[in-house]
Amino acid sequence: MQMQPDAPPAAPRRFRLNGRDRSVTVPDHALLIDTLRETLRLTGTKQGCDGGECGACTVLIDSVPRLACLTRTGECEGRVVETIEGLARQGRMNRVQRAFHEQLGTQCGYCTPGMVMAAEALLRRVPHPTEPEIRAALAGNLCRCTGYVKIIAAVQAAAGEG
Amino acid sequence: MEPLAPFRVLAPASIAEAVAAAAAHQGARFLAGGTDLLVNLRHGIGAPGVLIDLRSIPELRRLGPDRGIGAAVTLAEIAAAPPMLAAYPALIAAAASVAGPAHRAAGTLGGNLCLDTRCIFYNRGEWWRSATAFCLKHRGETCHVAPTGHRCHAAFSGDLAPALLAYDAEMRIAGPDGLRTEPLSALYAEDGAAHLRLGPGEFLAGVILPPDPWPAAYAKARTRGAIDFPLAGVAVALRTEAGSVAGLRVALTGTNARPFLLAGTEALLGTPVDAAWRDRLGRLVQKQVSPMRTTLAAAHYRRRVAAALAGRVAAQLAEAA
Amino acid sequence: MRNARAVVGQPTPLIDGIEKVTGQAVYTADLPAEGALVGRILRSKEAHGRIRRIDIEAARALPGVRAVITGADCPLTYGVLPIAMNEPVLAREVVRYRGEPLAAVAADDAVTAAAALALIAVEIDPLPACFTAAAARAPDAVALHADKPGNLEREVHHRFGDVEAGFAAADFIREHVYSCAEVAHAQMEPHAALASFDPERGQLLMQSTSQVPYYLHLMLARCLDLDPAAIRVVKPFIGGGFGARVEVLNFELITALLARASGGTVRMVLSREETFLTHRGRPETEIRLKLGITAAGRLTACAAEVVQRGGAYAGYGIVTILYAGALLQGLYDLPALRYDGYRVYANLPPCGAMRGHGAVDVRFAFEAALDALAAEAGLDPFALRRANLLAAPTETPNGLRVESYGLGTCLDWVEAASGWRARRGRLGPGRGLGMACSHYVSGAAKPIHWTGEPHAVVHLRLDFDGGITVLTGAADIGQGSSTVMAQAAAEVLGVPLARVRVIAADSALTPKDNGSYSSRVTFMVGNATIAAARALRERLVAAAAVLLDAPEAAVEDAGGQFHAGERVASFAEVTRAALAREGGAITAKGSFTCPEPFQGGKHRGGAVGATMGFSYAAQVVEVAVDAETGAITVEQVWVAQDCGFAINPLAVEGQIQGAVWMGMGQALSEETGYESGLALHASMLDYKVPTILDSPPIAVHVVESLDPNGPFGAKEASEGALAGFPPALAAAVADAVGLRMDRLPITPDRLLEALAQRARAGRLARALEVA
Repeated sequence: MQMQPDAPPAAPRRFRLNGRDRSVTVPDHALLIDTLRETLRLTGTKQGCDGGECGACTVLIDSVPRLACLTRTGECEGRVVETIEGLARQGRMNRVQRAFHEQLGTQCGYCTPGMVMAAEALLRRVPHPTEPEIRAALAGNLCRCTGYVKIIAAVQAAAGEG
Repeated sequence: MEPLAPFRVLAPASIAEAVAAAAAHQGARFLAGGTDLLVNLRHGIGAPGVLIDLRSIPELRRLGPDRGIGAAVTLAEIAAAPPMLAAYPALIAAAASVAGPAHRAAGTLGGNLCLDTRCIFYNRGEWWRSATAFCLKHRGETCHVAPTGHRCHAAFSGDLAPALLAYDAEMRIAGPDGLRTEPLSALYAEDGAAHLRLGPGEFLAGVILPPDPWPAAYAKARTRGAIDFPLAGVAVALRTEAGSVAGLRVALTGTNARPFLLAGTEALLGTPVDAAWRDRLGRLVQKQVSPMRTTLAAAHYRRRVAAALAGRVAAQLAEAA
Repeated sequence: MRNARAVVGQPTPLIDGIEKVTGQAVYTADLPAEGALVGRILRSKEAHGRIRRIDIEAARALPGVRAVITGADCPLTYGVLPIAMNEPVLAREVVRYRGEPLAAVAADDAVTAAAALALIAVEIDPLPACFTAAAARAPDAVALHADKPGNLEREVHHRFGDVEAGFAAADFIREHVYSCAEVAHAQMEPHAALASFDPERGQLLMQSTSQVPYYLHLMLARCLDLDPAAIRVVKPFIGGGFGARVEVLNFELITALLARASGGTVRMVLSREETFLTHRGRPETEIRLKLGITAAGRLTACAAEVVQRGGAYAGYGIVTILYAGALLQGLYDLPALRYDGYRVYANLPPCGAMRGHGAVDVRFAFEAALDALAAEAGLDPFALRRANLLAAPTETPNGLRVESYGLGTCLDWVEAASGWRARRGRLGPGRGLGMACSHYVSGAAKPIHWTGEPHAVVHLRLDFDGGITVLTGAADIGQGSSTVMAQAAAEVLGVPLARVRVIAADSALTPKDNGSYSSRVTFMVGNATIAAARALRERLVAAAAVLLDAPEAAVEDAGGQFHAGERVASFAEVTRAALAREGGAITAKGSFTCPEPFQGGKHRGGAVGATMGFSYAAQVVEVAVDAETGAITVEQVWVAQDCGFAINPLAVEGQIQGAVWMGMGQALSEETGYESGLALHASMLDYKVPTILDSPPIAVHVVESLDPNGPFGAKEASEGALAGFPPALAAAVADAVGLRMDRLPITPDRLLEALAQRARAGRLARALEVA
């Protein structure tokens, strides 16, 4: 993100991102979505709307789903941030990713990073959720391809493995 | 869309520091979860150079002591139904019904109570608003909802306010003159462009729930089940004695520039909740709400559904009593 | 011989699914482009007006601004239909809708680009604008386009069979006006493009959110006046399309113009608001439908008058208004049809193709009328449909060929699965069941850009590594077409799916393809892939024959190895032998063309609607209606679709569920709205795409009628079920509360108003009785 000449000064922000300690130097008004996508080149987190309306940019902060488009990077100071790129281990999909892949919880894939992160947060909190719990946890994430049917199946499959 | 106008964020450690920060920075805005303010700023509505983040004040992040809730307590914390709120199910339900989980994780009690009013002519990007020569609420001279009038009709659509009004909650306002406690209803004015009665440098520090609340519940209508503001929301607190209504408070949101307590409910006391009683309540609601064309759904729907929900919630409470 | 169908017919996760779930999939806005300029578009605030002046000097002088362009920089118009290319890239002389591009800038960063836009001075003399079809057709309406007086882009008058005799023979006739709001695709990925221009070589590299990179290539060559050979179009991952990205869109051409003007790389990422303004959605449509049946339920005649409000430019309009008439046929045995279609210009963002292109709104009217007629005639809605089934192979009165037809089986399944006979009318107050049928083409039989070439060409490449590379221009936009092609190639060649990779939609590598629209890819590109794989297999068999010292006829291809009697050669050995024999890497070509007899009737516009294979779907919708709030809850959907053969049953199910669900959005909550031409719906908050909380379980049954011309018998799977949902829902609402809603979407406010009106009418009637 570019700064205007009179923009407030940038300051270092330290947080743990996908298992690594990171420091980025951005101004107070830098949004996490821009820091991730532009400064850190982690483009898995998607922008699908003009602010807070679609859930595509959902990331986890201290294991809680948050909208990166309405989160200032400065808020992440000292916290644990996880994006879709941080879920796989040694290149192997985690259980939620695998279930979304195998159950076709993804079609075009654009809502998928946010959807997977929201589902991941749910399963950490509630290992074996009921269908209403799954629906409630994903209520802030819009998908335009699947009708959500196979997304629910994917979360159920992931829970079954867990 | 336009780039976000730059701002600095101050992180006061106490209420006094926050008040001092506001005094030192003309035009600064108070920030909590940002789910309302940051969206508006991204839309180019306002460009405060300084935001004062109330979440850095430990006192405001506390549930308790006693029955106090700090303004920076998140909606998710309230929706999680902590033991302290066990007697206030309408508040829990209202918090749980806001937007989506990620919004609730960020959004706060104070933010929801001080939610900016909304209108189809206002919650837009810069280009869109400039194409209508802006509106009375911000930078313009005409209310496009009622062009011949001189008032902004933008509607308040927070969910927590009606629940707290129905519980008869009080609020704590912090400001240059210190802390004061008032009924929550004193926060609001029926003016979409200035619906919060907060003086310069003042902010909502929290609410205080009353002891021994009446049974209460909250219901709202919206087009879809999440990521949607209420078209109408109704909280009802209802106490019965020997099958008759002995106490009744009805509060509404989504229909007016402010959330408000229904007046004239005394007339509904002393009788049981039956179909005729529900009709009378419905008529009372229909008479006092004044939805305008601030939403894509028809205004008459918001009037009708507010009445229907009031009757339904009251009947459920009466039945459970 | 190896097992028949070892790969196709197996539920197969998408071959590019791992990238999607791990965040590695690179969409257009994700493309790395260090130092790319930021592109921005200045849009008109006027709905209709004559451009007096656009002054860009101050913007151009701003430090950090690398290019500023206006309509003066591109005199040529563009459009998806060669006969109706009337859209300027940037408005010239006249602006016709609020949001139309007027100028564009490329700057070093977003802040500078925004500042530059603010410095552009625009003066427009307003003209009277029309925002409804009725206003546009009024005698005194100002014409948007000088060559189209009355703002009539196209009128269609088709007559097939004896309509008058048909109505005369009918025992029951329903004539009613139905209306459908305009809807939008709202694909999750906002539009984006990345264009690089190399001024030294005069070459353009274009990456964009396109469903049809070939059209983009053609229009770039036209509007930038470039040799097509100087252009390379590459499709990244695409976040959905649903028809929004079939047409070339103005922002793509603008990005390329900016790249050339700045001599560099320009990234243009549209906001969600701009993505909505770019539009191309399904037009607001009014349908006056008259339908006749006999007492036994046989259809006798249909007369339909359809008015579509098309927006400011032609786009796909002519095709949409033709589809609306043509696809009244092809589902049932309908002996007589009169169709009068009117496509109208208005000062609104242009409409275009959207999933179920042209068929959805007329199907709502037709099925809703059938449901009303069934009630009137005392017929079960299923029985009424069964009385009018087609018998394939057949040809409809308007020249549509039907070679396979599984609708009867679809009806049987949804009737049984939903418990229709036992449950309908017995669900209690406020609950109801409704059903409807629908269909869609498996690719338009006649391409828009007629070149004499095949409809689809696929290359298969085999080299030293023994890997099979499918080279196809077909754009996978999330529907899973690349997976289908990989399956088809693996199936024919008898190799594991993992041995096949797909390179899709890079004009420097892949053969031209007409793109992802009208559900053509599985049918046409699938057939071309099979042809290519067969051609490659023949060459492998020829090499195996030499290697095994046997006549070709004696060589058996046994799935990854080749036999001749007792002798066996592995796939790797045969590959080496074939490469040696043919002088290195082998490319086998396969193509597919819809034969002339399938290309539609001989009447004007007769090519639209024609296809080699129709999909068929039936569905039952169960609802609960809250009569106090008007809220409709869809409890469950049962849908069966005849897709010929499910090459990838997992993806077929997903496509059908997605189609039904998109129909639900249109039926319940989605609509655009305009305030004096200014879009009121242009956000994901205001355009009400259903959330997971609003979305029902959707039980899917796949019917395999094995189309004689389809690849492995397959037909389309992703559009046919959409159009059935709105009428099935309306029928369910009628079953639940006894009201026939004739306007989409059936929002709570409309339903509650209708219920209140009925209550008022009832009170009035009772009052009159008492009096």
